[in-house]
Amino acid sequence: MAQAVIFPKLGQTMEEGAIVKWLKKEGDPVAKGDILFEIETDKANLEVESFFEGVLLKIYVREGITVPVNTVVGYVGAAGEKVPNQAPKAEAPAPAPAPAAAAVPATSPAISAAPARVPAAVPAPVAAVPAPRPAPQPVAALAPEARLIISPRAKALAKDACINPSRVTGTGPNGRIVEKDVQTYLASSGYNALHITPAAKRLAAEKEIDILTVRGSGDAGRIMVEDVERAVRRRPVPLSRMRQIIARRLVESKQTIPHFYVTVKADITDLMTYRADLKAKGFNYSVNDFVLEAVILSLEEFPIVNSVTDGLTVSWRGDVDLGMAVSVENGLVVPVIRAAQTLTLKELNAQTKALAEKARTGKLTPDEMVGSSFTVSNMGMMSVDQFMAIINPGEAGILAVSTGRQVPAVVNGEIKVRTVMAMTLSVDHRIVDGSVGAQFANAIKSKLENLELWKALV
Amino acid sequence: MYDFDIIVIGAGPGGYPAAIRAAQLGKKTAIIEKEAFGGTCLNWGCIPTKTLIASAERYHHAAHSEAFGVTAKSVSFNYAKMAARKAEIVSKLSGGVQMLLKSNGVEIIKGAARFEGPNRLSIVQPDGTKRWLSATSIIIAAGSDSAMPGFLPKDKRVIDSRAFLDLTELPKNLLILGGGVIGCEFACMAAALGTKVTVVEMLEDIVVVLDRDVRRVLRKRMESLGITLLTGAPLTDIAVKKDTVTGTYKDQTVEGDILLVAVGRKPNTAALDLARAGVKVDERGTIPVNAQGRTNIASIFAVGDLVTGSIQLAHAATQQGVAAAEAAAGLKSKVEKVCPSCIFTSPEIGLAGLTETKAQQLGISVKTAVFPFSVLGKAMAAGETDGFVKWVADPVTGQVLGAQAVGCHATDLISEAAIAIRNELTIDEVGNTIHCHPTLSEAWMEAAHAFHNTCIHLPKR
Repeated sequence: MAQAVIFPKLGQTMEEGAIVKWLKKEGDPVAKGDILFEIETDKANLEVESFFEGVLLKIYVREGITVPVNTVVGYVGAAGEKVPNQAPKAEAPAPAPAPAAAAVPATSPAISAAPARVPAAVPAPVAAVPAPRPAPQPVAALAPEARLIISPRAKALAKDACINPSRVTGTGPNGRIVEKDVQTYLASSGYNALHITPAAKRLAAEKEIDILTVRGSGDAGRIMVEDVERAVRRRPVPLSRMRQIIARRLVESKQTIPHFYVTVKADITDLMTYRADLKAKGFNYSVNDFVLEAVILSLEEFPIVNSVTDGLTVSWRGDVDLGMAVSVENGLVVPVIRAAQTLTLKELNAQTKALAEKARTGKLTPDEMVGSSFTVSNMGMMSVDQFMAIINPGEAGILAVSTGRQVPAVVNGEIKVRTVMAMTLSVDHRIVDGSVGAQFANAIKSKLENLELWKALV
Repeated sequence: MYDFDIIVIGAGPGGYPAAIRAAQLGKKTAIIEKEAFGGTCLNWGCIPTKTLIASAERYHHAAHSEAFGVTAKSVSFNYAKMAARKAEIVSKLSGGVQMLLKSNGVEIIKGAARFEGPNRLSIVQPDGTKRWLSATSIIIAAGSDSAMPGFLPKDKRVIDSRAFLDLTELPKNLLILGGGVIGCEFACMAAALGTKVTVVEMLEDIVVVLDRDVRRVLRKRMESLGITLLTGAPLTDIAVKKDTVTGTYKDQTVEGDILLVAVGRKPNTAALDLARAGVKVDERGTIPVNAQGRTNIASIFAVGDLVTGSIQLAHAATQQGVAAAEAAAGLKSKVEKVCPSCIFTSPEIGLAGLTETKAQQLGISVKTAVFPFSVLGKAMAAGETDGFVKWVADPVTGQVLGAQAVGCHATDLISEAAIAIRNELTIDEVGNTIHCHPTLSEAWMEAAHAFHNTCIHLPKR
């Protein structure tokens, strides 16, 4: 019997996704373990393997369409087997499991097969998911223009002239645009003074570019092919799914969380010397490791900063699930170091490295990117003096770490060259007040400047 | 204050137009030249080679015109006289360049320049004295020399194109290393005067920038001139014997009285001490510049052969020189993108814009159309039926993106194509433009008709 290929649920919070690429066509033979398609989720791109052997009989969900998880996207079965023409309704979510079963392990067996390869058609464990949400509309195309009332001759003239007829004022009955109106428009809009190369005119017609919107760069302002190509590039293109998510979350944060900011500057001269000593002994710690550890320790001292509020209640997050912002091609991901307060500095260093590597190679699973309780964004490598970060929704704060720089500093009344690093804390003012924010920021700073602490921790 | 607004280093086809343009814009300008005004183009390149080619063609026509009803008995030539005529033309033009510079008020300084800082130069003058000069902007137009790879024996029988032009007698057997533009031009010129020529090219064909169909015409004609073309393997074991130079191509021994080395050109940047001004030079010794010719140092520009990615043609250098002078004078200069190339082989070749080969490499889809000279009345009348013209166009809009011409007067014919490409005409404007009959340029119009398969003068396909 033909087996349904199901759009897998790859993380606890995952509700929908899109197939970015089918690697098999209808009619292709499929072996168990073959990659059927690649999907794009809120967080990452993943490859999905076939769980069955046979022939890919049918594809229902084309590339680029967002669907709820558990949607039937196709069928695998014996060659020639009959399958429905229309996709069956999205599979009903598994019956709500008993509360005890709701605790799904962070890495479900379905997705443990790193690197990011997951069997399809196995309904992933579902943690009391409500009925699948309808897929959101794809990015709105340009708003469809109100239906134009225009004569065929006028339409042909507008098309021939490569202009947008909706800008023409109609003088016919009911405002109908007639040929004369287009001629008047062409005369009054400066159209007749335009110069355009023959190839540019053809390209504008081909790409439906209104040449009145094109600025010419050629001799005496002549419109060239390059200018039309620039106009084509000005058209909106949908953001990648990752960028859409980033956009949504950042707007949500700025609109719902009243941020305030505290900047402190840590003198890391001694720490840098100590780090170099460690390196000579074969212990390779980064400045970021020390910053993360200082943040973890400070979050344990200031539980309110490791909390979250909805404006009515406040909940302490318990564990320090530390998010670290990693920049990737055309975006940003935030892998999470779970229960970071339980890790030794060495373990922290190892996890940080592993997560950063996975982030850069696109191998983070969705579950590795959710549930952080506080985030550190380190732009130390980017040569910045200071910046302010936007809080991840669901958290109370974020620390923006800048570049350590050699500056003249006053030490015991004397001017010395010291390495100083600015750190700016952004916090949710609904639960963290100025004085607490200041204390928390200074707690991080004083830890970084306390060499005895690091000697004890390494 | 600096001594000058703009100093140009090098008075070749990049440098002297830059200096003249700078002076026209009211800038106090100086030009420094260490050797000969007019640079490689005028003294050891374009002009002298074309002068010799003209002599060679005269001889060739005189000796081979029986089919035209012209019989000339005992046609002979005197190469020393040809060389003397060349020297006279070069000297006249070189003097002309100096006159043009002077009439525009450019100060002429003879000597070899090197940088002492971003705005400062020291010049060693012909009498050995040193002079220091400074300028707000400096334009480097020092050109290039023939590359002479280190593995070649150092001997008077192993020479570059410049030394070849100083010969007063042609070798009987000429071995040429390199089947690029320069190698092929010299091969054709010498072969027309009866020299037995062998060209060895490491790449799979000669002049690989051209499309294969164009190369085929050139190859066939060169071979019919008696030139041996050995491609696809290097020339190894090069050795100077008593009266010859020998080498090995595959397992065959080749030899010539002289080995002409034409394997490319190396930029004249080393002697300029660019590091003292902080100018970046890449690993091949060329200078990276932006669209206006500006180097990484804002006050310093570079134009011509020594620029990274340059196409190493005199007219390209001229355009870059003018643009750099304008940019140095604070104008928003525009650099032209379409630069036609000319190759003075027998037959001539012209090239502008995109080739079919390049389009394939770039993944651009194109449609081509050709028209052969063999069915053109004028070409038949002139006895020049080898060759064709070819358009490379956008298959959707019909925009002409590139053109090649191979055959009689191809280097003149290509300018029409360059105008069409530069001004973004489509194949239809070209095809609808009335062309004079009988001319060779009709071929462009006919090829444009061939694009739509509507040729009047080709049998229906």
